[in-house]
Amino acid sequence: MSDFTMTIAVSLLLLAPLLAGGLSLLLSSSRWLHVTNLTSIGTLVAAEVMIARSVLGQGSLTAFGEIIYIDALSSVILFIIGTVGLACSLYMRSYMDEQVARGVIAPKRLNLFFFLFHMFLLTMVVATVANSLGVQWVAIEATTLTTTFLIAFWRRRESLEAGWKYLILCSVGISLALFGVVLMYYSSLRVLGDVSSALNITQLQQVASQLDPHILKLAFVFLFVGYGTKVGLVPMHSWLPDAYTEAPAPVAAMLAGVLETVAVYAILRCRGIVDQAVPPAFTGGLLAFFGLVSFALAAFFILLQHNYKRLFAYSSIEHMGLAMVGFGIGGPIGNFGGLFHLVNHAFAKSLAFFAAGNIHRRFKSVEIDEVHGLTTVLPWSALALLIAGLALATLPPFALFSSEMQIITALGSSGLPGEWTQPGTRFPIVVLLLCSLVAFGGLLYRIAGMVWGVAPKDIVPGEQWSVGHVPIILLGAVLVGFCWALPPPLQQLFEAASTLLVNW
Amino acid sequence: MLYAFVLIVMQTVVLLAVAPLIVGLIRKVKARLQCRRGAAVFQPYADLIKLFRKQPVVSSTTSWIFTATPYILFASTLAAGLLVPVFMSTTPLNFAGNIIALVYLLALGTFFLMLAGLDAGSAFGGMGSSREAIVASLTEPAMMLSIFAIALTAGSTNLSTIVHKTALLEGIVTDPSPHLMAFAALVIVAIAETGRVPVDNPATHLELTMIHEAMILEYSGRYLALVEWAAGLKLLVFLTLIANVSAPWGIATSMEPAALGIGLATYLVKVSGLAVLIGFLESMFAKLRLFRVTDLLGTAFVLALLGLVFFYVLRG
Amino acid sequence: MPLMTPPIGSQLVDLGSALLLLTCFAIVAQRRLSACVDLFALQSVFLALTATLVAFLTGIHHIYIAATLTIVIKAIVIPRILKKVIERLNVSRELVMHINVPASLLICGVLVMIAFLITQPIIPFGHLLTRDSLAIALAIVLIGFFTMIARQKAVTQMIAFLVMENGLFLGATAATYGMPLIVELGVFFDVLVAALIAGIYTNRLQDTFDSVDTAHLSELKE
Repeated sequence: MSDFTMTIAVSLLLLAPLLAGGLSLLLSSSRWLHVTNLTSIGTLVAAEVMIARSVLGQGSLTAFGEIIYIDALSSVILFIIGTVGLACSLYMRSYMDEQVARGVIAPKRLNLFFFLFHMFLLTMVVATVANSLGVQWVAIEATTLTTTFLIAFWRRRESLEAGWKYLILCSVGISLALFGVVLMYYSSLRVLGDVSSALNITQLQQVASQLDPHILKLAFVFLFVGYGTKVGLVPMHSWLPDAYTEAPAPVAAMLAGVLETVAVYAILRCRGIVDQAVPPAFTGGLLAFFGLVSFALAAFFILLQHNYKRLFAYSSIEHMGLAMVGFGIGGPIGNFGGLFHLVNHAFAKSLAFFAAGNIHRRFKSVEIDEVHGLTTVLPWSALALLIAGLALATLPPFALFSSEMQIITALGSSGLPGEWTQPGTRFPIVVLLLCSLVAFGGLLYRIAGMVWGVAPKDIVPGEQWSVGHVPIILLGAVLVGFCWALPPPLQQLFEAASTLLVNW
Repeated sequence: MLYAFVLIVMQTVVLLAVAPLIVGLIRKVKARLQCRRGAAVFQPYADLIKLFRKQPVVSSTTSWIFTATPYILFASTLAAGLLVPVFMSTTPLNFAGNIIALVYLLALGTFFLMLAGLDAGSAFGGMGSSREAIVASLTEPAMMLSIFAIALTAGSTNLSTIVHKTALLEGIVTDPSPHLMAFAALVIVAIAETGRVPVDNPATHLELTMIHEAMILEYSGRYLALVEWAAGLKLLVFLTLIANVSAPWGIATSMEPAALGIGLATYLVKVSGLAVLIGFLESMFAKLRLFRVTDLLGTAFVLALLGLVFFYVLRG
Repeated sequence: MPLMTPPIGSQLVDLGSALLLLTCFAIVAQRRLSACVDLFALQSVFLALTATLVAFLTGIHHIYIAATLTIVIKAIVIPRILKKVIERLNVSRELVMHINVPASLLICGVLVMIAFLITQPIIPFGHLLTRDSLAIALAIVLIGFFTMIARQKAVTQMIAFLVMENGLFLGATAATYGMPLIVELGVFFDVLVAALIAGIYTNRLQDTFDSVDTAHLSELKE
């Protein structure tokens, strides 16, 4: 494919959400808002497909004079942004309209919602394709700023609280990451000397092995803590359950499915540079340790939840922790497992939040104890919840099970990285298996209680067909489909990305 | 020997002469900031002369401490003043002591003043003394630490050496961070020790708030004159210390008349500048409650401590 | 184009960073919110002066832009926003403190030491103008972080966040003579938007909770 078409594809990638965001502020009818939204996200997905094909063909690509850098890993992330974004847009078609019809929000506020949603998409795309680590930081901080009002969108007490908490905690965390970026720049300036491009990934990768290991270690710690806050790793996770509970369902799906993935991507990018100068056991040890702690703690918190949105929030922490363990162990199996886990989690979690949104609208409650008999009240959503729940509980044959198995295999074969673990110890595997068992039980118990049983009398049974069911069916189909086969292009893309992760 | 004698006389004269001027200057600045014309800058001189002419009244319940205190206070403060380089980097009493002696000479005066406040047996005096005890016990560690932090950068506890070294250095001080911390701490300490706003208000006789004024409430006539003069002297000593330790440039390093002239002139400029600054600060802030004073002095202590730590970390 | 002799120049930069740190302590010790805002503005002025000095000493021109932006955004615009917020909210003081002033100052002192210890190994490597600035920058970041935890008022938390940003900017200026311009502009934009958003939030919080004390934000619990 020619450079010219690639330039167009990349411009479309950036312009689509930007223009759609601008238009959203001007349009007045909700119908046109949705049309703009779907057009924009459709363009985004199309551009991504073009880019992914080109990346598969010729490796990485740069555009606009090295401002943009896209390789297989960023293509995977773009793929997640596009697909989950598309599903969310379809879901919003019915979800937001119903909120307006019920008078929860004024029709005017739809403009703000779509504007912020597009800015959110734009900042995530920029964070994924930016060549400069500095621009990436700016974009990730901007995701915080764009999403905080989306989280507080209902303007209830609790949502304001969640939004504020999210803003403060993530801004602070991200500030620490900026210190890491400064240190990274400090180290690379000494080697590169060129002021303007010394933060570019393309430049850094060439000289990474000459960078000073002391500075890089320090830089990575700050970057990891900063972006780790955004991923929601324990102990920086406390904003996450509140934000996911209070955010409108499509926003929660985007946060859980995409934003976390983008933050993981930022960590992986930095790691790719640091690992060339510092023994990989250092970064791997950090990732695996915090991943394991997050996984273990979140698994037990799942047991304690009586709010189904918080349940999914903790399950997010758990899965992100597991993916981190995978990346931390590294190697072909660990990295592929981690990456595949990210993708599957994004689909399963957005499906779960779509179902949760439907349930919330019908039952007017997020308490698990007040929701019973979904099979009679909302049969389709019940099926979606069941599929998502089983996938998230890592039940075979779902793909999350296979990626978890890959991570556990990697752990078994090479053990936890880092100086502080004794080689050959089985302890981490035992912890991992036990905790996944705990999470499995907790999740299934809660979801079974919601799906079956006798519905409360004041709830009207029956589920009306709406556009919002399209993404639910599609995601469900994808999740079930992934049990058996991965489409060959996707398979290639994931493999290319994980090869990239193994040897930068 | 002769030099030393001349220096002692000169420094004594300068200190005694400038002290009331500084007090007058601060009052003038405050008056101006309150949109008053205020008394003339030289008013404190007239006050002192007037007080010296009046016959003192001494309560019959007091002991010798009451009458001895003004002399002890005055003498100890003046002696402290002679330990500080004023317009020349060598100090007259260089042989007799260093910073530590300075701190304890000042503390001696405060101690006797507290005793005298208790001695008369009036409620106010006792109150003033107990408050002064709180403030003094909190300022002293901060003061010692801040001076140590400065002494460490110069490598000596002798003030004359410190000032001499810093004044002759090319460029500014070697490590700005410890110096700056110590300087900030010293400013707070000076404000607290000399009873200025926000710790104490020298212009009030409100029984709820006064500290220094409460202790000297029983004094009159020449005793009061001595105490007031000593208070002015103490303020001047602190200002001199701050000015010369943190910015000693222009100070005379030899006994030549030209150098001495420049030294004296820069000294007057520096000290009056600080006095104006204090006038501004006093107008800007309200007096703190007594229990908030601990916060302020705690801040001074921590700053001084940080100055010390900085020194070691930077050298480390 | 070193117009001044390097020792004096680097000492002045050190002095500037030390002044920043000192204002940091003042902010920690200050209870009145409007005084905190003033101190933050003062700190930003010091920051701009230090940055200008670095620009002058190194001859890198885009730092001047950053210094100007610091003055405009952090010393004028953001303090105004914060003052407006304080006026509207009718809160003037941080009444309840989790940790009292001297204790917070001591903790901050420890943080400064930690910052020095952390940066010690990497300081000799760079083409640093100064020895201390990077360490002081990290110290300011950590103190901002601590203030955010230790204080409850939304406005104070915002100021703490901005103090952290100041520390980061100092670090970038001192260690690397400024980031690439595009990054710096982006950071300024983010900070400005963050301040605006926080302003909007405090208004909404006031409307909903009748208070901006974040201690009231405790409805979301496990």
